[in-house]
Amino acid sequence: MTSTDAFFDRLSAVGYDARLGKVSGSVRIDIRVDGGLRHWRLEIDRGHLRVTRDGGPASAVITTSERTAEAMASGGMNGLAAINRGEILVDGDLGLALRIGRLFPEPDAGDRPDGPDGGTP
Amino acid sequence: MKDVPGTVSCIDGSTFIVSDSSGDIESSPAAPVGLFAADTRYLSRWVLTIDGERMTALSVDDSHYFEAAFFLVPGGQMDYVQADVSAIRRRRVDADLTESITVFNYGDQPREVDVRLEVAADFADIFEIKFAVGTKAGEAYTEVRPDGLRLGYRRGTFHRAVALTADRPATFTPDDIRFAVRLAPGADWSVELRAEMRAWRPDGVDLRAGPRALRSDASVLPESVRAWVAAAPTLDTDSTTLRQVYQRSLVDLAALRFAPLSLGGATVPAAGLPWFMTLFGRDSLLTCLQTLPFTPSLTPPTLRILASLQGARTDDVLEEDPGRILHELRYGESAAFEEQPHSPYYGTADATPLFVVLLDEYERWSGDTALVRELEQEARAALAWMDRHADLTGAGYVSYQRRNLDTGLENQCWKDSWDSISYADGRLPGFPRSTCETQGYAYDAKVRAARLARVVWHDVAFAERLEREAAELFERFNRDFWLADRGWYAVALDHDGTPVDSLTSNIGHLLWSGIVPPERAARVAEHLMSPALFSGWGVRTLAEGQSRYNPLGYHTGTVWPFDNSFIAWGLRRYGLTDQAGRIAEGIISAAAYFEGRLPEAFGGFDRRTTRYPVRYPTAGSPQAWSSGAPLLLLRTLLGLDPHEDHLAAIPALPAMFEHIALLDVPGRWGRLDAFARHRPDNPPATTY
Repeated sequence: MTSTDAFFDRLSAVGYDARLGKVSGSVRIDIRVDGGLRHWRLEIDRGHLRVTRDGGPASAVITTSERTAEAMASGGMNGLAAINRGEILVDGDLGLALRIGRLFPEPDAGDRPDGPDGGTP
Repeated sequence: MKDVPGTVSCIDGSTFIVSDSSGDIESSPAAPVGLFAADTRYLSRWVLTIDGERMTALSVDDSHYFEAAFFLVPGGQMDYVQADVSAIRRRRVDADLTESITVFNYGDQPREVDVRLEVAADFADIFEIKFAVGTKAGEAYTEVRPDGLRLGYRRGTFHRAVALTADRPATFTPDDIRFAVRLAPGADWSVELRAEMRAWRPDGVDLRAGPRALRSDASVLPESVRAWVAAAPTLDTDSTTLRQVYQRSLVDLAALRFAPLSLGGATVPAAGLPWFMTLFGRDSLLTCLQTLPFTPSLTPPTLRILASLQGARTDDVLEEDPGRILHELRYGESAAFEEQPHSPYYGTADATPLFVVLLDEYERWSGDTALVRELEQEARAALAWMDRHADLTGAGYVSYQRRNLDTGLENQCWKDSWDSISYADGRLPGFPRSTCETQGYAYDAKVRAARLARVVWHDVAFAERLEREAAELFERFNRDFWLADRGWYAVALDHDGTPVDSLTSNIGHLLWSGIVPPERAARVAEHLMSPALFSGWGVRTLAEGQSRYNPLGYHTGTVWPFDNSFIAWGLRRYGLTDQAGRIAEGIISAAAYFEGRLPEAFGGFDRRTTRYPVRYPTAGSPQAWSSGAPLLLLRTLLGLDPHEDHLAAIPALPAMFEHIALLDVPGRWGRLDAFARHRPDNPPATTY
């Protein structure tokens, strides 16, 4: 099981996050794999979370590589910095995407710059 | 905008250009000149020559913050001989830069003229400029096309580029744009150049596309500024200085509005030119507090973005904790690659209590309980941060000690330079440090949150707990910080609880927060207005006679207008109207020497000695909280306060003003007017 799978499984199992108690909306995460996209879709209804694997429309769409998704899910990445350096692409409601960022585990202080996709060419 | 001597600036939110007086940009690695957007320098060279000669400005028109016009002749000012050829260079910034050049031939012969713009882009991050870092980790590239020049920079998936184009045939090379112009006698020729700044994602979408689409186009900027000024209360006064300062402050606050990426076009105040053109927690909160009676529209987006970026986790590089309000948010390369911790950086002890203070003050003015309900969770998290994460010594105070030892801030209070907090004899205290004004903010936050809990959140138990904690903090603070033998409050407690005994402006903020018992207020005021602290223009950051005092020390002797505006407000709170009036008179008089625009700070020299306020060498200008200072001083002079559903005004004018009227003050009452009149034979009147 990947860290991403484990992360969404946990969200699905918990089913609620008080920090999103006033948040409603949907976020789709498109992970680039083997020339295609693997979808995760998170629906938030005043803190209640529902995780699906469909590619339906969402108020925010986050596109990233598998490696970056893994780093996010295992807590090795600052999402805002990754957006800024073009490693995570957000379309739609960025404010909502940033709130979802709070669900990810704490960054690992040992794993810093030039993350998976961001190395010097 | 010639505040840094010899430079001319145009700004629109986080986009700005700083050039020399002829419009040229010749950057050195350490000078903050150039064309900037989102903390990145997109043009580091932008030099106009005509027939190989540099140009000199005979005059500059920069009456609008977003545009400037330079009237130019060839050669240096000193050796000017009547020139046949002259030029006008006009520029305007919005999300991008538009610059037009018009060349005139006033000679009686036809002329072939070589018009040339030398260009370069170093894509320096604002922090590389600040710390004079000359090397880049990524690769620069240049693309010459028949119709334009593209300069770019790539580092992995990080990609920034500027596209330079002209609306007339030009020759583009990697270093310049040239025009061969034939001018008949009496004829003129014009070209319009564009510099479009892009922050490319790998899929070819511009990161700034969202705010770019939502922001007003350059052509409607003048109308947007007029509307902004028109929405603010109208000031009527006999003081030409105050009129000038008021107008300038409103326009500068308009200039500093910027739309962060995540806010759907709503604007918040950027802290200031040139180093702070981004979101700062403390600066934006204090600016909103200063400007609530004038430009209340700044406050809800500021509270919302700070709430949406409120700390949720524990991170020792960002110094993030659950509930903590951010210090600084940046978009440049150093933030993107986490070489600087600004994505966002949380190293501030005071923004979190100030967030709660502003939320309450905003509701008192606006009656907008919906926002207070919307942000209840964040306000509660902020209050919890003060108790759970900020009390580093266990003594019951909001304190700080940086966890990011490489790039974190040593001092996480408003005086955030390394030597700002010292004992009277110059020793620096250890860490954690608890500065006094932060305890005042924390006390005020608890008192105000108790009101919100009672009135809006309907949580009486929480309100009672907050009131009890506030009372205990009041008691504790007045025992531990008060220096009975001196008659002032220690600026801080050292790590072991020893009071740090220097005399500073920080004690003025305590009056604003209400943590000073009434019987001590007069003694505090006496020190604030003593020759050691009061320069005649304002209260110095550090008193004369303290070991580290230096009238040109950034936080160790200069006078900060924003600091003084809060001190004056605090003096009024305790009924010390004469003292508040003296500060207002001093600061507003000083503004006259800066063409109505108060800089970040000016020298702490005695007013009687220098007779003008001495410029602080690297002071930023405009600065949001300096622009906000005259507005808070106006509120203070008029004694404006929301009182239930009414606007109360209890004016107290110093002698320099005969009358001040503020018409259409917005609030929960709709719009109301406030009047103040002062005659020597007649004490100030009260009407509203």
